[in-house]
Amino acid sequence: MMHPLTKLYVQKMFRQKLIYIFFTCFFTASFFYAFLISTPQMEELLNINIEVVGRGNFPEFMMRFYVGTVGILFNVFLLTLYICEEDRTKILYQPLLHGESRSRMIRSKICVAVSMSMIFVLLTAIINYVTAFMRWGYEIFERTAIIRTAGKYLVCGIYMSCVALGIITLCICTRNTWKTIFVVIIYMLINSFICNTSILFLQKIWIGYYPNRWMFSYEYQGMPLKEMPWGICVMAAYGIFFYQISLCRTRKIDF
Amino acid sequence: MEKIIAVQNLRKAYKKETAVENVSFELMPGNIMGLLGPNGAGKTTTLKMITNLCSKDKGKILIDNVSLDVDPGLALSKVGAALDTPSFYQELTARENIECFASLYKSIPDGQVTELLDYVGLSTQAEKKVKKFSLGMKQRLALARAMLGQPKLIILDEPANGLDPQGQIDLYRLICDMARDKKTTFIVSSHQLHDMEEFCTDILILNKGKSILQGKTEEILSETTNIVDCILEETEAFLDVLSKFQGISLTSHKGNRFTVKLETVCLDEFIKKLVACNLHIHSISVRRNSLQDLFLKLTGGDDDASAN
Repeated sequence: MMHPLTKLYVQKMFRQKLIYIFFTCFFTASFFYAFLISTPQMEELLNINIEVVGRGNFPEFMMRFYVGTVGILFNVFLLTLYICEEDRTKILYQPLLHGESRSRMIRSKICVAVSMSMIFVLLTAIINYVTAFMRWGYEIFERTAIIRTAGKYLVCGIYMSCVALGIITLCICTRNTWKTIFVVIIYMLINSFICNTSILFLQKIWIGYYPNRWMFSYEYQGMPLKEMPWGICVMAAYGIFFYQISLCRTRKIDF
Repeated sequence: MEKIIAVQNLRKAYKKETAVENVSFELMPGNIMGLLGPNGAGKTTTLKMITNLCSKDKGKILIDNVSLDVDPGLALSKVGAALDTPSFYQELTARENIECFASLYKSIPDGQVTELLDYVGLSTQAEKKVKKFSLGMKQRLALARAMLGQPKLIILDEPANGLDPQGQIDLYRLICDMARDKKTTFIVSSHQLHDMEEFCTDILILNKGKSILQGKTEEILSETTNIVDCILEETEAFLDVLSKFQGISLTSHKGNRFTVKLETVCLDEFIKKLVACNLHIHSISVRRNSLQDLFLKLTGGDDDASAN
């Protein structure tokens, strides 16, 4: 059974208008994109081959937009509203005045944020499959493509959860909306630099390297199974680190 | 009778600045303590330390004999608080907000939310969204939220902010009724010195983080001052008499109304002197200490305080 505080935070999260605005926009964009890329002019303009990115590959093609920039920015705006703004308006600590512990409070927040970031990835997948189906019909249902894309969406979900944990840590440490957004933008720049550099050691321990590699270097191909355990361990290690920092910092905050 | 709260040698410093230093007090069931002090005196920090929102550097806090350090959950289950500007989920109604927080309690009797909203006079506004509430309405809603779970101790930080005069009177009446009927103990921080004098059983004045006056309100205010107000028939003669006597100084006078300060003579002596000089006394009264006088005297007539 869900803890009352977690339930309260879930209700609060679902009342965020940003979620509905974002997914409406995402669906509209995905829908138009599915039809736009089919024209020869757009193929040439965007330098894509519809035979490669269309049909069963379309959901994987669209995933890059979410995992690369849009999804991270969406998460940072949502989570700063969820934590920093609550802190600013003094509602964050209210449960503590009703007997809840600080650990319980942050654990509930993390639980909701991580679950939601997974759900958002699932929603993205559903939206992409729906728009692909509207454009190509039953042609999108290729068994191998579906299994491969599902694996990649799962990795995307794990990565976005770690990112959500990182954003929560930043929110707790900075307690400021704009500082958090600024640091996340810096992270995105560094991530892009590390993923495109040849410093192998740095890449191997960088949170964003493996998801980026599996999604872009192995596009429309199966993921390299050999390097997956290490890659997932790196992401999990970051996740645990962020979780511990958030927990530790929350216990010491002077509200 | 068991103490509801015992605070001993509380201390808190931010970097090099000491916010609270050696603050101690005890309260019994039904007591209402007014926590006074100029802005930045350490009132909110003290309240936040009691509610565990802020860590303390030193000191001990026992709530209903449970140490806040040993079992904060149990200790705080006996406390209700409304601190800072009242904050709520703006997009929810008053009832939904209270129900949200009520859900955090293991057992809230059915109908308590309605009862509380009714108690603070918000039953007709219960289905209205909080974002449409005035500050005064939010203050009352915050009080209802603080009363959830029937706490033994309620802490209110400047609860009269934003309330109109009638609202303030209603609020203080509500606090007094709860203290009398339910034996709920209150700690109320405020700048409304006159009101605090009226309804608080105990007073604690902080200045620069230190406790400068504390005790029972009656005892604190029972000490008379050496300021005497008198009305006499003979104005010129009285002024003449005053100039001859040492140890009495004229503070102000308007017509035949005089205010004098007895510096080295007592009241008996002063009256005898007036009678001896054949002056006709219409009335004479010794001024009683007011909380405002004391406050201004002790805090050095701080601007913030005098404004209130």
